[in-house]
Order: sequence, then C-alpha cells, then structure tokens
Amino acid sequence: MRNAIRIILGTMRIQIKNSFVRPMYRFCLIVNPIGNTILLYYMFRNSSMSNFMTYVILGAGLSSLWECICFSSVGDINRERWYGTLPVIFCAPAGFNLIVLGKIIGNTVLSLASMAITVFTAKLLFGAGIQIANLPGFIPAFLMAVCTFVVISQVFAYLLTLSRKTTLFMNCLSIPIALVCGFVIPAELLPDWLLPLSYSLPMTWAVKLIRGTFDVNFTGKEYLLCFTVQLIEVLLYTIAFQLLYRIIEREVKIKASLELM
Amino acid sequence: MEQVIYVENLRRDFIKTKGLIRRKRTVTAAVDGITFDVRRGEIFGILGENGAGKTTTIKMLITLLTPTSGVCKVLGYNTYGEEKKIRNRINFIFGGEMGVYRRLSGRDNLQYFANLYHIPMAEAKRKVNEVLEIVGLTDKADALAETYSKGMIQRLQISRGLMNDAEIFFMDEPTIGLDPLGARTQRNLIRTLKEHGKTIVLTTHYLYEAEELCDRIAIMNKGKIVALDTPQGLKDLLENTKTIELVIKHSMTNLYERIKEISGVRSVEFKEGEENDIYLIKYDRDLDILSEVLNLTCDITSFSQKELTLEDVFIHLMGDKV
Repeated sequence: MRNAIRIILGTMRIQIKNSFVRPMYRFCLIVNPIGNTILLYYMFRNSSMSNFMTYVILGAGLSSLWECICFSSVGDINRERWYGTLPVIFCAPAGFNLIVLGKIIGNTVLSLASMAITVFTAKLLFGAGIQIANLPGFIPAFLMAVCTFVVISQVFAYLLTLSRKTTLFMNCLSIPIALVCGFVIPAELLPDWLLPLSYSLPMTWAVKLIRGTFDVNFTGKEYLLCFTVQLIEVLLYTIAFQLLYRIIEREVKIKASLELM
Repeated sequence: MEQVIYVENLRRDFIKTKGLIRRKRTVTAAVDGITFDVRRGEIFGILGENGAGKTTTIKMLITLLTPTSGVCKVLGYNTYGEEKKIRNRINFIFGGEMGVYRRLSGRDNLQYFANLYHIPMAEAKRKVNEVLEIVGLTDKADALAETYSKGMIQRLQISRGLMNDAEIFFMDEPTIGLDPLGARTQRNLIRTLKEHGKTIVLTTHYLYEAEELCDRIAIMNKGKIVALDTPQGLKDLLENTKTIELVIKHSMTNLYERIKEISGVRSVEFKEGEENDIYLIKYDRDLDILSEVLNLTCDITSFSQKELTLEDVFIHLMGDKV
C-alpha cells in the first residue's frame, strides 16, 4: 500500500511538471477557461434564466476542467508513445494501472486551476460571483465530481492504449462528452434518444448535483438521488475497469500497440 | 554457466486484416520458430537485416509482446503469465532518442524510474548520483533531457537500467545514430556492464560492433536463426574460403566475368577506379588465385590477402544478396 501511494504521488509530481511545461496544456488550463467564460456569458446574457451566471461559471469551469483532463490524461498515452516511454512504464514493476492513475490524479489536481480561473474571470470581467446555496452539500458534490472525472479518464486512457489513433479519439471525446453530460446546457434538453447515454455517464449526475447546490429549490431528496446514482455509476465503472484492465493489458501485448510502429 | 534465457521454437505472428466486406487476413511470421539460450554474464548478439525479427524477439523477452507459440523464459519464468517475477530483474534500452522524458532533467528521470522500480527514496537518491557518475552525466544531471545529445540520452537510458541493478540488459541497437566517439563510449559502457557480471542481449546492424563485443551471436534472417556461434565459430563457417584484394590496371573489358568463371571463385566484388580497378575475390582455400588471375592478365599492380570478417560470414549467410 505504501509503495502504491509512493508510485501515485511520484507519478503525480512528474505529471504536473511534465504537463505544465507544455504550451498546449497551459493554453487549455489558462486561456481556455477565460475564453469559455466570456463566450458563455454572452450566450446566456439574454436568456430568461435568473441564475444564468451559474450556468456560465459552472459550464465554463467544468468544460475547461474536462478538456484539460481529457487532453492531458488521454493524450498522455499518445505522448508516452511518442517519447518511447510507454513500453518502459508498461513493463515497470510498479504496474501500469497505478502509473496511469497517478497521471490522471496529477492532471486533475492541476486542472482544478481552470475552475478557479473561471470564477476569477467572471468576477473580474462581469462582476458576477456565484452564490452557493448549499455549501455543506457542495463540498462532497465537488469532490465526488473530481473522483468521477478521474475514474472516467482512467477508463478512456486505458482503452486508448489499444489504438494508435489516440488523437482522433481524444478529439471525438472532448466536446461530445461536454454536451451530452450537460456541462453547458442542461442534459434534459437533449433529445430523448440521447438521454440514456447521458444518464449512463456519471459526469451528467456530477454536473446536476453541483448545479443543484447553487439552487435554493434543489431539495435534499433530489441531492441524495443524484449523489447515489453518481456513486453507483462510479463504482460500476471502477469495477468494470478492474475487469477490463487485465483484458486490455493482454490485448496490448497481442496487438503490439504500445509503440509508434 | 547458468542459463538465464531459454527460448525454444518461439514464434510470433502479426495478423493484418484489410477490407470491409471481404476481409482479407494476412499472417506474417516475424519470428519463426527460433531456439537459443543465453548464459549468465555473456554478451549475446542478435544480428540481421531490417525485418529479420530481432526487435520482435527482444520485445517478447522483455514481456512487452505475447509470443504466438513456443517457450520464452527469462530467469526461469515465462515472459507471458509470469511477467511480474521478471520485470524488476531486467531492463531494456531502445536505440535512438526515445525512452526518457525529454522535458524532465536527467536526475528527475532517474528518480522517477527508481520510484517505478520500488527503490526506497533514500537509496534512490544515492543511486542516482552513483549511476550518473558511472555514465558520465553528473555535470548535466539537472539539465533537461531535451538539451542532451543522442549519445547522452543513450547513456541516460543505460543509467535507467542501472537503477534497478538489472541482471539482464536488453539493448536494441544501442549505438544507432551515434557519432564514432559516442558509439565507442557506449561500447565501453557495455563492456563495463559485463565486467560487473551483467548479462547483455543486444541487437545491432554494425557487424564490427557485434564482433568486438559479443561472446556469441545469432544471425537471423526472415524470422529464423540461420547461424549461432561465437564470432570465431561463425568465421569458421567460412574456413575454406579466403579473400584477396587485387588492384589491376584497366586492361581487359571482360576481366570481371572471366575471374568469376574461374573454378573455385565464390564471389567477386568490383570497384572501378580512374587508372586501376579493385577486385575483392572470395575463393576456395586450395585455389592458387594469383596464378589463375595472372593467366588472364599481367597488369596486377598490387595484391593483399584479407582477414575474414563477420561481415563476410553475414553476407555468405544472407545468400550474397546484401
């Protein structure tokens, strides 16, 4: 257990160092949330919604957070492939799953800055703050959302070791997931046939839950429902991942997909 | 000597499918039923052309690829299914500028790899300094790896291998792209590793390097081992062959063909010069080649008997197509 924690912490440290020196990552982390906040503000400004700033800040913050995590955690597999370090970490005694987990947690911790930048931009440019109606509910909801992002990113990152077309899949994941999970526009506005997909992703519940903590009309029963469904889905994804990762590791060794050629 | 690698009838197929409706499946045997063993403390070379199956063999040995069939054991354990028992006792180095985090310093790279190999923190710090000293990177330890030369990156990779005190090093073309000085430093490091009792399996394209470093060499062609012996043993395969270099003035137009027709001549390489042409002739030991050529022309300017090299053996085994 001590070894596992050391590997995760060591990988997080290296990941943060490695990520922050990349200009593209810095763009996603700093410029993207500012741009998203400005765009969403003008999109929602004339809407009839009274709490539109909540949508602006949460939408911009969560989208930027997701993009950072998606582009770095999932894209990391490709970067490791280009560096030629993917076979090295795959064959390391530490275990590939722990290393990937460390990378994703590192990215997530660093990416949380994008949320803070969003709040700061909204305050600075539009003088708009956010009022958390249910602060004791917000903290576990936010932590749960972070866990959700970590679990989902890990599933995607692992699945993408099977393919060399990581960049293509990464781009396919970024915006569709943000839309389907209701980061910007409520998931309820999606067509009926898309709702099962939306509700099967724990991020949808994470967004719903966090947004609920800003709404005075969001009841305790609704909070509990969202939290429970999200928790169950996260657990299901974790179990599925545990089963999948052995299959994926075997497949990677059969398909020889860890390197460029 | 103790056997540390045992490979028997090892095969690795790569399957490609093409087409959407009529899917066409092509199976290519990258490694086709090879058998060999490696003993503790020796430098074992694998030679072959591009696509001969050298790298695929190494990848199966380092637990990166699953064999299609056959036995592939490292330190007594199967490389598929028992990977965990092998991974902390081996290390591998791929040629070129890959295999390290270029945006981290050499020291950070090594400290991270120490972490991945479960080396306690205090020991890791000491070991990082120690291995940096061995590979001569102490001065550049805190510079980003992206500022390193190719040779320095290769040395950093070797130091990564030293971190976990690996018993076996697998090196895939470790001197590829290095300048002569860098390649020599690398070869000296490989010798130092052997002196420290490490077993080394290396692939290379450079025949003189294999000859200089390896205790035994396997020559691969199209996924199969076509010869396996010590460098001298391999040369003995051509013990009945001698090589002579003749410098002959331009005289006859068809001299090359006439020499080739001499009974006992195995091969002739011809290089045209301004006044003189150079003929490199491989012939049967019993043949008096000088007399035979003098029967054809008296314009021989000079001649020298050549020592048989591993390259001659390699070319012979590849069917002279190289």
